[in-house]
Amino acid sequence: MKILIEGAEIVDAESPHNGKEKNVLIHNGKIASIGDKNASSDKVIHARGMKLTPGWFDLGTFAGDPGLEYQEDLDSVTEAAAAGGFTGIALLPNTVPALQTKNEISYITRHNGTRLVTLYPLAAVTRDCKGEELTEMIDLRHAGAIAFTDGLKPLWHTDILLKALQYLQKFDGLLIDLPQDIWLNTFGQMHEGVQSTMLGLKGLPRVAEEVAVSRNLQILGYAGGRLHLARLSTARSVDLIRAAKKKLRISCDITSYQALLDDRSVSGFDTNYKVMPPLREKPDQEALIKGLKDGTIDVICSGHLPQDEESKKTEFDQAAFGMINLQTFAANITALTRWVDLSVLVEKIAVNPRRLLNLEVPVIREGEPAEVTLLDPAAEWTLDESTSKSKSKNSPWWGQKIKGRVAAVFNNNKAWIAPGVR
Amino acid sequence: MSKLSQKHLLGIKDITEKDINLIFETAENFKEVINRPIKKVPSLRDITIANIFFENSTRTRLSFELAEKRLSADVVNFSASTSSVKKGETLLDTVNNILAMKVDMVVMRHSSPGAPHFLSRHISANIINAGDGTHEHPTQALLDAFSIREKLGGVGGKKVAIIGDILHSRVALSNIFALKKLGAEVMVCGPPTLLPKYINELGVKVELDVKKALQWCDVANVLRIQLERQQIRYFPSLREYSLYYGINKRLLDSLHRQIVIMHPGPINRGVELSSDVADSDHSIILDQVENGVAVRMAVLYLLAGAAG
Repeated sequence: MKILIEGAEIVDAESPHNGKEKNVLIHNGKIASIGDKNASSDKVIHARGMKLTPGWFDLGTFAGDPGLEYQEDLDSVTEAAAAGGFTGIALLPNTVPALQTKNEISYITRHNGTRLVTLYPLAAVTRDCKGEELTEMIDLRHAGAIAFTDGLKPLWHTDILLKALQYLQKFDGLLIDLPQDIWLNTFGQMHEGVQSTMLGLKGLPRVAEEVAVSRNLQILGYAGGRLHLARLSTARSVDLIRAAKKKLRISCDITSYQALLDDRSVSGFDTNYKVMPPLREKPDQEALIKGLKDGTIDVICSGHLPQDEESKKTEFDQAAFGMINLQTFAANITALTRWVDLSVLVEKIAVNPRRLLNLEVPVIREGEPAEVTLLDPAAEWTLDESTSKSKSKNSPWWGQKIKGRVAAVFNNNKAWIAPGVR
Repeated sequence: MSKLSQKHLLGIKDITEKDINLIFETAENFKEVINRPIKKVPSLRDITIANIFFENSTRTRLSFELAEKRLSADVVNFSASTSSVKKGETLLDTVNNILAMKVDMVVMRHSSPGAPHFLSRHISANIINAGDGTHEHPTQALLDAFSIREKLGGVGGKKVAIIGDILHSRVALSNIFALKKLGAEVMVCGPPTLLPKYINELGVKVELDVKKALQWCDVANVLRIQLERQQIRYFPSLREYSLYYGINKRLLDSLHRQIVIMHPGPINRGVELSSDVADSDHSIILDQVENGVAVRMAVLYLLAGAAG
């Protein structure tokens, strides 16, 4: 089938048509032509006012498959990712069992190439992500693991961090850590500040993250290797990374919602705002945005962490951390364009994550495979039972009208086109 | 009948100064009632109240139960430790089961901050928070402020020091909100590990030396050291705590002026307060207990009015 995307602005620094409104014809999974005239096609997407970008990539999606399929499985996460604009997602290893042997890796990758969304396993660094005993990382690498992390679990053991950084140097593998000091965070429920004080909730102090960032940078300086720090949330973390980038192979990401929400959201004890790291304060948000602009922050990820209703519809201190955010990611990105140019954001959601993982970056050029995302920044829509693809509902935006959605996604000779897009 | 601005009493943070004063005026009337030979009024006849306590309590539950009975309400009690409930039913299921038996009001104590707020989004009955973890204990703060008002003729402009484990204390937080709303000056004092790092942003003074706090204040509200809420060690020993943060008669005498001593109970005698202070004429601890019944009657009565 030939599909013509008519009049979208191409946002792709590597494309010869970057910044221009063009008609893009997609045929047999390839970009057949890019021009100004109307090529003949079976279907036309009227895309004036929309943005055509390389397919998005999520560095660190949680799908509870295997083991926690009631939260999300590979089918539902793939559908939610496609509807969210992602053509590739890297899955966190915090499953049951963890992604820690060849079996789990091939379980994740077995349908790749035939699905719209390509799934990349992030293998566990330590057995069961407990932080104690290294996994067989060379073997996992050969099986298809693209990077190594304990995912939602910080690498608390300093010597394990050191050994992992050293061991991965055999194949220049990337280590990803969630920098949080587990001792300073003990029993913590939300960001420590005046809000947590007023709510009587035990705080997760900024310093718990910053001490882990500092420690990780020291160890990286000593061991060498490549380290990526996930889900940064504080102003000082960004400063530490900015300084370290001058001499170390260090990269980092934030979740899209971390730059948009702050700890005042928690004031009604709404557990959908309970996330790790926690929502911080205005000055932190401003620092994250500055870090996006000046290149300190390389990647924006969705932070997608589905939780079943029983884990969220409960007392705040009993509730699980996390929010679903694959499908609302486009609205987050649209909101971020208030401060950061979309071309810069595209680097962080399509280009940089793939470069870090040594994956090919799709380019919007004639003859290239069509791996593209069409963003409609003006579309208003609601995430609810009728639109959500996820198995879980733990979104702070559930049921609310939001602005910015994905109109279409193309990859692997497959397409997803949002209902109502013509 | 005058009404409160809220359907529930979840915390002092959510109510207005006007609400507080209305509760006080109503409580004055009820205090007169409970000192009559016939202590009972028919105000809440046909109202059923469930006291749901997921955490141990003797005096708060007793105080609520007496208040309810003196208003002629029908009363049912449910007690369970949160841990045993956790194994089976959810909080929402437990409460809905009780409400299915046609209960009008719920008085709840729970170990999780915000548990009554969570409940208020899912059930229709009036909810009174009888303590939610380390968050709020609104009726305690109301009876404390009522007792200060009774003893000193008012709360505005008075200096109140809250001394002890501020970090884990719902009494401290609700007291801070109530006293600030009523125009008092508030200071917190305790070991630095038991003071929330951002407490000064609530507009309170912070003091680490008990003697200085006592020299400053008109009223010292001394908190129970809550070892049961401390899963992490915040200070080395009760011995050292009582030596450096405990209040005894010699310390009070050295101030050369009279201050009022309060305590929400139960007292650890010889730890935060010595017996010769707890039982002295400085202490209004038993007045607080008496006022507790009157204040809770007022809250129940006014919320029932808001519902009807």
